[in-house]
Amino acid sequence: MDHFPMQWGRPRNDTFDAYGTYPVAQRTYNGGVDAFSAGVQHTQQPIVTGTSVLAIKYKDGVMMAADNLASYGSLARFKDIQRLHPVGTNTVIGAGGDMSDFQYIQALLDELMIGEFTEQDGHSLGPSEIHEYLSHVMYARRSKMDPLWNALIVGGFKDGKRFLSYVDLLGTTYSASTLATGYGSYIAQPLLRKAVEGNEDTLTEDEAVKILEQSMKVLFYRDARSLNKYQIAKISADGVAISESRSVETNWSFAEGIRGYGAQTQ
Amino acid sequence: MFLTRSEYDRGVNTFSPEGRLFQVEYAIEAIKLGSTTVGVRTDEGVVLGVEKRVQSPLIESSSIEKIMEIDNHLGCAMSGLTADARTMIDHARVTAQNHSFTYDEKIKVESVTQAVCDLALRFGESVHDEDAMMSRPFGVALLIAGIDELGPQLYHTDPSGTFVRYQAKAIGSGSEAAQAELQDKWHSKMTLKEAQTLTLRILKQVMEEKLDRHNVQLAQVTKEKGFEILDETSLKTIIDEM
Amino acid sequence: MPDMIALSHPASGHPQQRQFNPYSENGGTILAISGADFSVIAGDTRQSEGYSIQTRYAPKVFRLTDKAVLAVNGFAADGNMFVKQVRQRLEWYRHAHAKDMPLRAIARLIQTMLYARRFFPYYVYNILGGIEEDGSGAVYSFDPVGSYERESCRAAGAAQSLVQPFLDNQIYFKNQVPQPGHPHPKHLPLTTVIQLVIDSFTSATERHIEVGDGLEMFVVLAKGSPLYGLENIDGVQEMTATNDGERLFVVRRNLKRD
Repeated sequence: MDHFPMQWGRPRNDTFDAYGTYPVAQRTYNGGVDAFSAGVQHTQQPIVTGTSVLAIKYKDGVMMAADNLASYGSLARFKDIQRLHPVGTNTVIGAGGDMSDFQYIQALLDELMIGEFTEQDGHSLGPSEIHEYLSHVMYARRSKMDPLWNALIVGGFKDGKRFLSYVDLLGTTYSASTLATGYGSYIAQPLLRKAVEGNEDTLTEDEAVKILEQSMKVLFYRDARSLNKYQIAKISADGVAISESRSVETNWSFAEGIRGYGAQTQ
Repeated sequence: MFLTRSEYDRGVNTFSPEGRLFQVEYAIEAIKLGSTTVGVRTDEGVVLGVEKRVQSPLIESSSIEKIMEIDNHLGCAMSGLTADARTMIDHARVTAQNHSFTYDEKIKVESVTQAVCDLALRFGESVHDEDAMMSRPFGVALLIAGIDELGPQLYHTDPSGTFVRYQAKAIGSGSEAAQAELQDKWHSKMTLKEAQTLTLRILKQVMEEKLDRHNVQLAQVTKEKGFEILDETSLKTIIDEM
Repeated sequence: MPDMIALSHPASGHPQQRQFNPYSENGGTILAISGADFSVIAGDTRQSEGYSIQTRYAPKVFRLTDKAVLAVNGFAADGNMFVKQVRQRLEWYRHAHAKDMPLRAIARLIQTMLYARRFFPYYVYNILGGIEEDGSGAVYSFDPVGSYERESCRAAGAAQSLVQPFLDNQIYFKNQVPQPGHPHPKHLPLTTVIQLVIDSFTSATERHIEVGDGLEMFVVLAKGSPLYGLENIDGVQEMTATNDGERLFVVRRNLKRD
């Protein structure tokens, strides 16, 4: 006889293992076998990639920034890609890493939000629920050794509360009042922390925009995979607002004086 | 009795218009044909006693097994179709072992009883991809005795999968008289020794044959020694003192 | 993101294959000490990867029940997911057996859960602290695949090599010779233990780059135990959820952020 109630099926079909027979009891799989399973390939590296996403908390909510570039290796392949994606009315996700995986995640979230919307039960998924969901998706895929090659920042504002969290291809999560992915975590994060830490409740919208503009400029100077064309998302009590693409004034005249870079012949 | 027979007798999982499952009720009837089994709970431990019907002098009475160990701290006595009890006790044993493997502690008496009762209603036709189940209800009732952090306990289970905790309970053919006697004689200050003699006295009253150490079996669960089936010599001493 | 590991050396002539590395190491240190009728479980709150601080506040120490606290250290994603699963198992147990899982049962459960993943382990070092059924303070420590033992003190994580020898000396009195007629005490008082824990973390913060930012220290007191002056500790906060059982406190302190 089979002593593990999880496998008994009718009439109970238990969804949890009341007698703690774990790890032995796992429901047996009776479905078909994929004849081509040996041919299934897992993502081993990102192909078309986006670079940094920046995000900070400020007085009225959360602000995020990401440029419009999707690179193919060192080639600036697509220059009008939006990497800030609204999810519902209170949340924005920003993605670095593989852009096709990001588009898949967008599709996944759209499906999720439509499913929840059609319930019409008075509940709506907020930023913390979306982040929790994403962290489970990302962790499950890394556990299948088939990761979604992204670093994602989830920013939002719901029920008077700011939300800002990170999740990446390993399923690693964390939250802080300033977040940055990719190159931004090395170059912009120290600038963001200096400007924001301790001032989350006093920074105005204008100041927050200035901080992000400054950081995006530094990133454009230093990150060869970045573009001086970016968007800023603002999530506050008024909902989500993602700006048109914009750029910052840059000044390259200093380069003239750098040996090997400017016009010097030797 | 035959007046109530109807087509609802046939499908084991079909309710009658009055809301009854006849096959389950018949299974409960089957227990009343079984040999008398008595359980008595005291603060010192639980005593289980069964009548062994030795229908022929050629039967080796020691081969009749109606009390079985589930775990060190758990025992079980049965009445009815005793062969059916093997499946249930087997499951109880595995569940108890699995619990101590996973949690490094003894399973509670109620939990193991619940686990056994989960089996009770798994009868009927199984589907292709499922493990074959019983085609009919189990025809046996159990008295499960044990000790855990809540002290000594006695549970009764029947073929409907219902379980109830008792201070003292009798099942089987002589159960009506025996239960009345238990109700009369049981008291909360009872010692284990008193429980042993009470169990034997009641069995003696309801048995057709003259009670001796070959046609009854006694077991107990105590804090000190856990589950034990009393051997013939200690059984004889108790019978002699009775 | 150090996500790839080379399977063969590029110079070997064979085609080089790269494979996804599903693990990372997120720094930090955890520590637990048990006394006669209490247990202290602590961890810093910095989460890092390489030289980057990901956040200054990511809890590594979790309340499971009023009498059990679990600290997890290693790969943060595995750690968080593991704690989630342990909590789910504790709830299922409550439904099936109508009681909170005792500490030693939680310890065994953690072993079976870790060992179930023997061939794709949770890259996590666990330390479980709390109060046993008999009212004594207890600490259980685990390796990533489930080997475990009950001890009275254990440090794990980035600064284990700094903290454990200190505890061996101060808790187990290793390399200390007792005065004649004054043997070493078997159990230390709570205030001494709390001071040792705080000192351990300030020292580890000083010498290890992955330790710092904040200290989160849980104190579990056995049923009916006095407070031992715990109420006078700076930044203490009670977290007990049930009446007339064990009592649970948390102490939050700042550590250096550099």
